Amino acid sequence: MNIELTDITRKFGRNKAVDGVSLTVGPGVFGLLGPNGAGKTSLLRMLATVLPPSSGTLRLLDRDPASPSACAQIRRRLGYLPQNLGYYQSFTVVEFVEYFALLKEMPPNRVPKAVAAAVERVDLGPKAKARLRTLSGGMLRRVGIAQAIVNDPELLLFDEPTAGLDPEQRVAFRTLMRDLGQTATLVVSTHLVEDVGAACSEVALMAEGRVVFRGTPEELTAQGEGHGVGDSPLERGYSAVLTASRKQVAA
Amino acid sequence: MTAVAVSRPAGFRPARLLRLEIKHSPFLWALPVLAALFYYDTYRTSVGLPPIWTIRATVVTDHMIDDFSVFAAGLAAWAGSREGRRKTGDLLATTVRAAWARRATVFAATAFWTLLAFLAGVALVYVQTAIQATWGGPPLWPVAVGVLAVVAACAIGFTAGTLFPGRFTAPLVAVAVLVLDYVGHGAADTGSTTTGTYGVLSPAQPTLAPDVGVFYHVAPDVAIAQVMFIGGVIIVMAGLLALSPVTGGGRRGLSLGGVGKRVTVTGAVLVACGVAASATAFSLAGTAQYASATGWSIPALHDAASDRPVPYTPVCATSGFRVCIHPAFADYLPAVTAALRPAAAEIAGLPGAPVRAEQVPSGVLPATAGTTSVFQYPQLDGLASLWASPADVNTASWQDGLQQDFLTWFVSGPPPQTAPWVPTGAQQALVTALMAETGAGTPLFAQPDANGQPVGPTPAQVGAAATRFESLSKAAQHDWLATHIAQIRAGGVTLAQIP
Repeated sequence: MNIELTDITRKFGRNKAVDGVSLTVGPGVFGLLGPNGAGKTSLLRMLATVLPPSSGTLRLLDRDPASPSACAQIRRRLGYLPQNLGYYQSFTVVEFVEYFALLKEMPPNRVPKAVAAAVERVDLGPKAKARLRTLSGGMLRRVGIAQAIVNDPELLLFDEPTAGLDPEQRVAFRTLMRDLGQTATLVVSTHLVEDVGAACSEVALMAEGRVVFRGTPEELTAQGEGHGVGDSPLERGYSAVLTASRKQVAA
Repeated sequence: MTAVAVSRPAGFRPARLLRLEIKHSPFLWALPVLAALFYYDTYRTSVGLPPIWTIRATVVTDHMIDDFSVFAAGLAAWAGSREGRRKTGDLLATTVRAAWARRATVFAATAFWTLLAFLAGVALVYVQTAIQATWGGPPLWPVAVGVLAVVAACAIGFTAGTLFPGRFTAPLVAVAVLVLDYVGHGAADTGSTTTGTYGVLSPAQPTLAPDVGVFYHVAPDVAIAQVMFIGGVIIVMAGLLALSPVTGGGRRGLSLGGVGKRVTVTGAVLVACGVAASATAFSLAGTAQYASATGWSIPALHDAASDRPVPYTPVCATSGFRVCIHPAFADYLPAVTAALRPAAAEIAGLPGAPVRAEQVPSGVLPATAGTTSVFQYPQLDGLASLWASPADVNTASWQDGLQQDFLTWFVSGPPPQTAPWVPTGAQQALVTALMAETGAGTPLFAQPDANGQPVGPTPAQVGAAATRFESLSKAAQHDWLATHIAQIRAGGVTLAQIP
């Protein structure tokens, strides 16, 4: 398994953002669903080795990220797209992707080809030499994806990757996600259930820091049978699980 | 960082990263403004100074550091705050490179441009000096102090930007460094020999004579203390960056297990070493002493051998009245000769009249007139100061000033040990008359006063006596001077006694 979480908790002061999450995730596209404030981003940041867990055990790519040497090895094989992508305005697309390739300590002789391939993969070839300040929000999102995949990672973490993409780009991106899921473990955090339905082989639904559902998109859809809220079967399943979770907490 | 280093793939080259950072350094934006500032402040000041290496080099510490450090600090703060301003922290935290190493690259790129621009400026000043100077070579200590000062400004700005990322950090840091420069200049109290410890440590050093480093070596004592102090500041800043949670040994990120502890310990050691270096330099500077011939010295750092005079062969104008000058001032020889020869001709053959003139170091009391046949001119702050450039001394007023110095020395006898001193009315009248004979202008003498009221003869009385003397024939003037010169020097002749 590429991701193994055992009773992971993350606190910010008195607030428990992630509360006793246990998960194992193998290769493929894994969807992380949940409403705002459910703890998806905190969980993803822990998986990205940005945040240490407050308690629990975390293993990524069969390594313990608490060890510096293991953490470096994990990061070399990790790709991360944060929810809010920060970028340097004066850099060109190629330079920005190259910058991260170098920070990921890719062998120098591989960098130019890897950068070109990543930029082509997100359809930014014609904009390769454009400065980031001149790009639209959707294009910047694709630059973020390019930097995440430039090192051909085994573990990919995308936080709201389709935010800002137009419908055509979103369809193309779902295809890319499925493609990436062939060789890597891709965790996609989103609150757009159609992304999950289209691209994910497995899904977990988080609410108030806990995983309240784990299964396939079809199983999630089945949870919504007879439930009236939602435009699509998957949305109805999503709403039904959340409603049940809230009732359980209230009880 | 050993663990990370061991697992680093072979062939990793941080130079590629540095190349990217150098290309995108914010320093490039400021280069045109900095170039203009350099031209109007540093370069123009430099070419107006005498082409003496030590004097010209003072612009490196007095002007260039001020010009560059403000920009260096502000732009380094802007670069240092980049990750915070652009919110790339999370993204960068997932990369393999340690935060301190990544930031070191950003700092190196800023420092690279700063130093490149600074050294280009120094090269321009020094090349211009090399073209004009007639003796000596480029002093390197001011360059070392300047380089460290601008790197320190970069380090201070970068640290501030990293620890307090925000849009206003850069301008605030730039203003703070500007104030620091101003305070440094104030502390140095340019022109004073009693400046305090802060003044000695300030790169802006008072230069008290135009022949510093000419007759005697400039002792490197103060420069060594400054290098130690500024170097300490740089090391402290490096330590603070390592101790910062954002960049090194804090609590942020998973990578900070063993690596973070090592970085933290390294940071603490750096801060301790930096503070020790700066504190030592501060205490050494507190013991600095000033000597007029050799400048500032610090006993614990001073090499007494450097106090020996620098050997040189004077440059002399040989035909007629012999005028000699230090080779560093060789370009001034025609002007000095043109000023002294007519005056020397007027008094030739009189008792105690000099047969040659030679330059002596500033601060050295010239030999007494009447006891030597050599006119010694130190030119410290006299009427014909050598602070001017060679082009500026080819003026009638400068040459008149030198004639006045020369003739006053001849008629006034032993130079006084106490200031203020003004020649007697008779001495003034004779100098005025002799200068008129050479075709020079009317000399300027200070009018002594007591309680705001002028004392002694008025300029009109002096002028009248001078006119009387001028009306005598050359032979009569000569005979009277030959008879009375000893009495004149002793102050025993009144205006009324002048024929």
